[in-house]
Amino acid sequence: MTTIDTAIYVKPPSRVSAYLDWLQMLTGAGLIAFMWSHMILVASVNLGVKVMNAIAWFFEATYMAQVGGPLIGATMLLHFVLAARKIPFTTSEQGAIWRHAKMLHHTDTWLWVIQAVTAMIILIMGSVHMWTVLTDLPITAQKSAARIQGGFWMVFYLILLPMIELHVGIGFYRIAVKWGFIRRAERKPFKRFENILTAVMILIGLITIIRFATLAI
Amino acid sequence: MSRQLKFNIFRYNPQDPNSVPHTDSFWLDETPSLTLFIALNRLREEQDSSLNFDFACRMAICGSCGMVINGRPGLACRTLTSDLPGEITLMPLPVFKLVGDLAVDTGTWFRATNEKIESWIHTDQEFDPEALEERMENDLANSIFELERCIECGCCVASCGTANMRADFVGAFALNRVARFVMDPRDKRSDADYFEVVGTDQGIFGCMGLLACEDVCPRKIPLQDQLGILRRKMGFIGLKNLFRRKV
Repeated sequence: MTTIDTAIYVKPPSRVSAYLDWLQMLTGAGLIAFMWSHMILVASVNLGVKVMNAIAWFFEATYMAQVGGPLIGATMLLHFVLAARKIPFTTSEQGAIWRHAKMLHHTDTWLWVIQAVTAMIILIMGSVHMWTVLTDLPITAQKSAARIQGGFWMVFYLILLPMIELHVGIGFYRIAVKWGFIRRAERKPFKRFENILTAVMILIGLITIIRFATLAI
Repeated sequence: MSRQLKFNIFRYNPQDPNSVPHTDSFWLDETPSLTLFIALNRLREEQDSSLNFDFACRMAICGSCGMVINGRPGLACRTLTSDLPGEITLMPLPVFKLVGDLAVDTGTWFRATNEKIESWIHTDQEFDPEALEERMENDLANSIFELERCIECGCCVASCGTANMRADFVGAFALNRVARFVMDPRDKRSDADYFEVVGTDQGIFGCMGLLACEDVCPRKIPLQDQLGILRRKMGFIGLKNLFRRKV
């Protein structure tokens, strides 16, 4: 017997929105933790080439790079699909949010626009970065330095670095206020903390890029 | 000492086919304690009798005079010109239907939204006019009253990025309103009932956390906190059902 999908006509109560919102937050939180750890681990080159190579060796010996890398890539794609439910893709929505942000002069609204724009750039540049690194294992300080010194990748990472840190920093703040971890009284100091954290991460990234650019291969 | 204020005011009459949306400029001498409400009345009396705007109580109780003041939604009656620069731009609240110039129809929107979230106490208890009113702990009564202070001025909706993009989003007003009923022991609705009303992408899960509502609310209602509490509560109700396998 043919059954008719009654949900077409009468929408039953659904929990899907709740699950998707949880997943969006959890994948986001996971990626934030990953991105900050990633920055610290790569910055180990500033302590010495041997330190970074030892850490890279550890992640490969334990297969964390070979398995974890693609998993992070998949998580990023999943996070994109989930967050895309909120991102304006139609021109009328884009026009509405743009006019609205220009009218309102409101930092948190602009931060959201930045988050949406950086998301699109990270989706492409992050994928390119992951493909390049994961198809050329093992990771060594010498190979990274050679790439940076080629010129093209230097510009590539100078763009990708602030995109990631802005997106991750704003996302960290947004999760905290959206899910009620940070209350009204704590919002201002927390935002300040988040701004400083983002600036520090960008600074560490810039120092690391300079280190790679000047490293003798 | 006193400033000459320049007002740039949005003008448009949707009823008049010859009317074109444009901006008119007016000048006014600033007087002590001048509010935008007084300024607009003076402009209408002294300079342009066709200027359209809403007001009733002039003391931040009725919620009629919400408008966009230099980009920010706020109440004209409780905005002092001394807090603003010499050039003041006034626009009607977006999202709501434009009546003319600065006047918008918030009533239709609020009525529809209140109906959507069933904004009343749900109880099967029969009303006894002779009985004493049911008692409630003072702290609880105070926290309900804290949220009940909303005057439906529409500033939170007009400042909401989501509401500006998506017409079906219920906005901070409605979510705060539901939070108020969740607290109220007289409302017999179950968690699942509330979830059905706001556990959606048009409800709490549509909120993107831009917090403009929190920043513009003229009544300083703790919207950030209430939205956070509600998101977590609805999130956990959703999860609980995942394990119990029932709606």
